[in-house]
Amino acid sequence: MTTETVVRLDRVRKEYGETAALDGVSLTIRRGEAVAVMGPSGCGKSTLLNMIAGLDRPTSGEVTVHGERLDAMNETRLALFRRHHLGMIFQFFNLLDDLSALDNVALAAQLTGSSAATARRRALELFDELGITDRRDVYPAALSGGERQRVAVARALMNRPALLLADEPTGALDSRAGEQVMDLLIDLNQIGQTLLIVTHDARLAHRCASRLVELADGRIAAESALDRV
Amino acid sequence: MSAVWAAARAAIRRRRLQTFVIALVALLCTATAVVSLALLDATSAPFDRAFEQQQGPHAVAFYDPAKVTPEQLAGARNGVAAGAGPFGQTVAETRAAGPVGSMLGPLAIVGRADPAGEVDRLDVWRGRWPAAPGEITLNAPPEDDAGFARGPMGHLSTLTVNGTTLTVVGWAYSVSHSADAWVTPEQMTAWRPSGLQMLYRFAGDVSTRDAVEERLAGVLPGGALLAAQPYQVVKEEAAETAGVYLPFLGAFGVLGLLVAVIIVGNVVSGAVVSGFRHIGVLKSLGFTPRQVVGVYLTMVIVPATAGAILGTGLGAVGAQPLLADTFRGLGYGQGTGVELRVWAAGLLGVPALVLVAALLPASRAHRLSAAEAISAGSAPRPGRALRVQRLLGGTRLPRSISLGLGLPFARPGRTALTMASLLIGVTTVTLATGLAGTLIETSRLDAAAGGDVGVRPGVAGPAGGPTTERGDREIEALLRGLPGAAKVGASAGLTVPVVGQSSPVQVNFIRGDVAAMGYQAQLLEGRWLAGPDEVVASAELINKRGLAVGDTMVLQLEGGRTTVTIVGETMQSLPGPGDGLFAAWRDLPGLDPFAFYYQVELAEGADVQAFTAAVRAADPGLTVWDNTDVTDLTIVITGISTVLALLLAAVAALGVLNTVALNVQDRRRDLGMLKSIGMTPRQVLTMLVTSMAALGVAGGLLGIPFGMAAHRLVIPLAADAAKVTLPDYVMRVWDPATLALLVVSGVLIAVLGALLPARSAARLSIARVLHNE
Repeated sequence: MTTETVVRLDRVRKEYGETAALDGVSLTIRRGEAVAVMGPSGCGKSTLLNMIAGLDRPTSGEVTVHGERLDAMNETRLALFRRHHLGMIFQFFNLLDDLSALDNVALAAQLTGSSAATARRRALELFDELGITDRRDVYPAALSGGERQRVAVARALMNRPALLLADEPTGALDSRAGEQVMDLLIDLNQIGQTLLIVTHDARLAHRCASRLVELADGRIAAESALDRV
Repeated sequence: MSAVWAAARAAIRRRRLQTFVIALVALLCTATAVVSLALLDATSAPFDRAFEQQQGPHAVAFYDPAKVTPEQLAGARNGVAAGAGPFGQTVAETRAAGPVGSMLGPLAIVGRADPAGEVDRLDVWRGRWPAAPGEITLNAPPEDDAGFARGPMGHLSTLTVNGTTLTVVGWAYSVSHSADAWVTPEQMTAWRPSGLQMLYRFAGDVSTRDAVEERLAGVLPGGALLAAQPYQVVKEEAAETAGVYLPFLGAFGVLGLLVAVIIVGNVVSGAVVSGFRHIGVLKSLGFTPRQVVGVYLTMVIVPATAGAILGTGLGAVGAQPLLADTFRGLGYGQGTGVELRVWAAGLLGVPALVLVAALLPASRAHRLSAAEAISAGSAPRPGRALRVQRLLGGTRLPRSISLGLGLPFARPGRTALTMASLLIGVTTVTLATGLAGTLIETSRLDAAAGGDVGVRPGVAGPAGGPTTERGDREIEALLRGLPGAAKVGASAGLTVPVVGQSSPVQVNFIRGDVAAMGYQAQLLEGRWLAGPDEVVASAELINKRGLAVGDTMVLQLEGGRTTVTIVGETMQSLPGPGDGLFAAWRDLPGLDPFAFYYQVELAEGADVQAFTAAVRAADPGLTVWDNTDVTDLTIVITGISTVLALLLAAVAALGVLNTVALNVQDRRRDLGMLKSIGMTPRQVLTMLVTSMAALGVAGGLLGIPFGMAAHRLVIPLAADAAKVTLPDYVMRVWDPATLALLVVSGVLIAVLGALLPARSAARLSIARVLHNE
């Protein structure tokens, strides 16, 4: 782990009407860190993730990721930023039903302008690394939950992101598939991938993260270093 | 408030876009249908309406004054519901002190005290009714001020009948054509009428000529009846004119109905499919299948009815000027309003159509279990269009475009309906383009043949003025010598009896550049005349009299008989009382100077107004007018076609809008994901617009042949109704640039329809979509 900062939130406040979902949150994530964000429902976890992913804008405060101020970008620049520097995995995988597993993953590279052949070659490398090569031509409907999440991880890694954001990555999986995904995230972090995981699952946080941030009522209630189990 | 109404109202509020689309489609379809129906209705019955308004006579009868007295005629009322007369009548040769003089021929003149009465209530549309001997009012369809002043009628101030010079004091219109002109009874008595006119409206059946003649025979038995004209004679002539409008209005009507069915079917099916989840929830709450169907039908029928009410009003208002413009020139302008039955059809037709279109998908919801209904509302079933997506994914196209091209394959049913509506939109635009092209080409031929400027010897204006001192050859020389004149044609028109035929024929003896100015180019068959015993006949004359190229005619000319051969058929003849013959020039001594007509084609870039001014300045005794105006019929038909095509194209675009809105709704999660991995708003927009633009290209390519076929069908039908033949080259309006533009029109309809929902999809909040699972 280096000291280079990947994410820096400075007194970020987000209001929805009269309710403050985030209330002056400041947070720093350094390259190679694996940070888990936990807290009860409505504490602001998803809002925090949205701010870092550039999916939403703060009412006040600054959001800097990979050295760029996301709160000052327009929609197009945010999209381009996400394309090149962020990878996201979701609880419900969000794969396109009418693309094969391989094409779902290749799509992320094709958006950056890579040719179909180059994108598919890179996708196959990832399939190989994630152990799902034999599932490359299968459509999402025919994949198990664990396989879908591996495909989603492959898609997120396609453009070698500076930061991988995971929103309840094991929430829709059975325990075995959940274990596999946790192992995958640990492996990724161990080879230097910076991770931010938003979860309810304390086991996931303790297995995968090196630092735990606890939110309550839109504020950081506690921060602690973790020894991975 | 019932549970069904409460649930339906909530659904309407929640589905604002679909509700809006259903209402708007219903509005535009209803407005289009009402305009078409109103025009069709008016086309099929303008004579009946005008006839009833004027209380037209079922029979115009002429009695022999030697065999029956006016008192006997007035007293004979057997079977007569209403009558007018007896009026003295004569048929007299006329001479007019003006350019129209040579065009008048013999006139049937009636002595009548006033234009009102129980029967044949005349429309005195200009000037007044004759009040004293020496005054005459002529029968003609109403014209607006500009048209009246421009035409020959505007220059007619006096008329010589039986040696008496009469002042033209007004213009009236009899739908039944009961006379060519009217004078006071005293004037008629002075002329000694050759017949007595009676105008009858009968009680009982008058639907056929036989029925009318049977009733007429019962009024006054005996041999006093000289001749009679049942109203069906005039009605058939009127139908012949109005029949020109029927083919193209019918074509637009059918296209409008088809597009309405397709769009409504697409809108409703889409609303049902995307509403299944909602329906499933209702069922799980305890709604019976019938109640669920009730909720669903209410959800669509409310906006459809609102749209139909507004559309009917809009269509009725929109049809009004078209009706007035279309039929005023034919003499039926007054009272051509939108009929109650058209209002009823508009108000009930489209909602009924929506109901029928909704019943099929709603019955599907009726059959489904709650669990199935809920699961049916999810994203497209996997397995569709996979091969297409895989192929597109491997191409060099930008991914946003290749993804867009694959989207239509995900829901083939929805895509087929959307493409069908685009196809009809392009068919309509193609038909309108073809109609306009042919009419403009025909009009151009007309204008070219008629020259840029028309000239007749005559008076300078309606109020009278100097008569030209120049002779025929001097006038032609004058016109040729004026700056700007390129070609000058001269003609002398004469109404000539034909041996063996009951009606005379107009023969135009031509000289100079007449043939070269366009009439020769209009030849449909045969060749141009080459000698004094050859004539070229107009298509109308050939059709009306059952003639053919190669036939001979024996003309009674200059006290002798002249045999001529028809060597060619042309689209039209020179201006005159009837389409007639072209014959080689011959000097006709004693011909009325007003029988001469000159037309001038100007050199490229010459100013028509400057030339007409120069003619007036050179000889104030010449009547001169601008001949370059596009005909009213061209303007009316092109105008109506354009309005209907634009309305139907707008409806097709709404169909696209609905499809994209439904696709976006179905694919919210996919769109959110694509944006989350870096698809820009512009790429989202491109993807969705591409998905419809591809259909626009396909719809354009398929719709153009249909539109061309409709054009091939409609124009000859309209020409047949008008008893004219058009040269084939006026049908050849398609060139590569026009065809390319028509394909573009399909793309344009698709892109315009897709743009709004695609923009809203591009602005979709990823956070809201992806976190609201």
